[in-house]
Amino acid sequence: MDEKIFTRQADTVKGDKSTSSERIVAGLQAMITDAIPTAHHFAFTGVERFAGGLSRENWSIDATWVDTAGAQSRHLMLMRDASGTLLDTDRKREFGVLKALEATPVPTPKAYWMDDDGHWLGAPSLVMDRMPGQCEYLVLNGTRPLDDRLKLARSFTDLMANIHAIDWRALGLGEVLDIPTDSPSRVELAHWEAEYRRVQLEPHPELDYVLDWLGLNAPKAQAIVLVHGDFKPGNALIEGEHISAKLDWETAHLGDPLEDLGWVTNSVRKREHQIAGVWEREQIIATYRALTGREVNEAALRWWNVFSCWKLAVIQLTAVREFVAGRYDRAFQTPSWLYRPMFQMMESPA
Amino acid sequence: MRPTVEEQLLGTCRILDTLVSPCVTDPYARTLLEGLIGNLRMLTLALPAVPGFLRSDNRATAELLDKLRVNVAPELAASIALALAQPEPDTADMSALDQRNVELRGLFSKALCDSGLTTGLREAALAHMKARAAAAPMRYVSTTTPPKTALTKES
Repeated sequence: MDEKIFTRQADTVKGDKSTSSERIVAGLQAMITDAIPTAHHFAFTGVERFAGGLSRENWSIDATWVDTAGAQSRHLMLMRDASGTLLDTDRKREFGVLKALEATPVPTPKAYWMDDDGHWLGAPSLVMDRMPGQCEYLVLNGTRPLDDRLKLARSFTDLMANIHAIDWRALGLGEVLDIPTDSPSRVELAHWEAEYRRVQLEPHPELDYVLDWLGLNAPKAQAIVLVHGDFKPGNALIEGEHISAKLDWETAHLGDPLEDLGWVTNSVRKREHQIAGVWEREQIIATYRALTGREVNEAALRWWNVFSCWKLAVIQLTAVREFVAGRYDRAFQTPSWLYRPMFQMMESPA
Repeated sequence: MRPTVEEQLLGTCRILDTLVSPCVTDPYARTLLEGLIGNLRMLTLALPAVPGFLRSDNRATAELLDKLRVNVAPELAASIALALAQPEPDTADMSALDQRNVELRGLFSKALCDSGLTTGLREAALAHMKARAAAAPMRYVSTTTPPKTALTKES
């Protein structure tokens, strides 16, 4: 299918929620035509759906067309909400974040077009530049030499600090994202508790127990920053020894900087974020402190560690619900593997 | 009964793995198929353990609820007493065992969040939850092949 050229007319499939390549290409052509009415002589090649992406379909497409500015060529990435999705997020917010970040040193793809209600593509979608680099979700424990992996690990913490240092008010993100009116920990907990109640199919005493603890111990934030919300190597592209792009901003929000830090220092995802003996919780916190000048309260960070696991458990329950309803194509189980690590973190002294 | 359920599931996995999977070239479909085969293999091993797990968990949860009920709000204590007075379901009826499990765990959830629980009872509840998590027979099967680890490469 790589070199197949699609020239099908878009209007014939409007409203169709199928995921065929033809349907995606037709919707994309219609969206570009709507944005650039003079565009004509379209050709789409290399159309491929990537295997990754649990919440959205990721399509790689090379597009060419001619408009009043001349011949155009774009290497595009189209991200379209899957029929069964694990994260109910808003494309307008994500588009707004990406547009705002274009003016910052944070490496992000240029966002071109948004189909926020699925008018063109059958489901909410974003179209952006396809950035160079590879997605290597376990790069820190992969086959590269230790020095290279350590350098990348530091780069990821640099990137996190850079995201947290963004002047979100100056970039207008206060109009795109909600400014927390309460402690960010309480805002996030309330959001994910509502999601938990929405998706649970049976009682989960373990998650209720942790929820109770989270409610009793929610910390205050030192600052309100732009939080990525799913900070991990799997949401980045790496080209050579450098991070070429930070992707997947659909969960970005204004919140507590310890939220992202709590995710990467969390014990259950060590293989993604840490390198045994040289880049562990202690080193990550020290580096983050040095980069940001921010104090890291151990009890508050522990809360975010537990919260990140609990949130992951809720996302897995969403997958269970969607699978059972026939809307999601991967079989998930009740996340019992997360329970003991959460209990251990709650019990450990701050 | 031959082929047994286990034999049929394993045979299905073998056919999907050796005959169907090589013909699937689309990367997304291939990843899904690998995940489904992995899940079927997990179920093949887990399925025989599920009734025993439910029986054991129902017994342990009922014992714990019996201890907790003296420290919880009267209305919840009455619900627990009513549930514990019900006869245990037929041990061969998996659906009834599952239904009983949902009922008992629902009450356990409510009892856990009751402020009247003593430290000792909380510890007992925590031990129960840890033991259950360790014994749960069905596990998520990752669809991503783990890379060679650095330790393997460098040591």
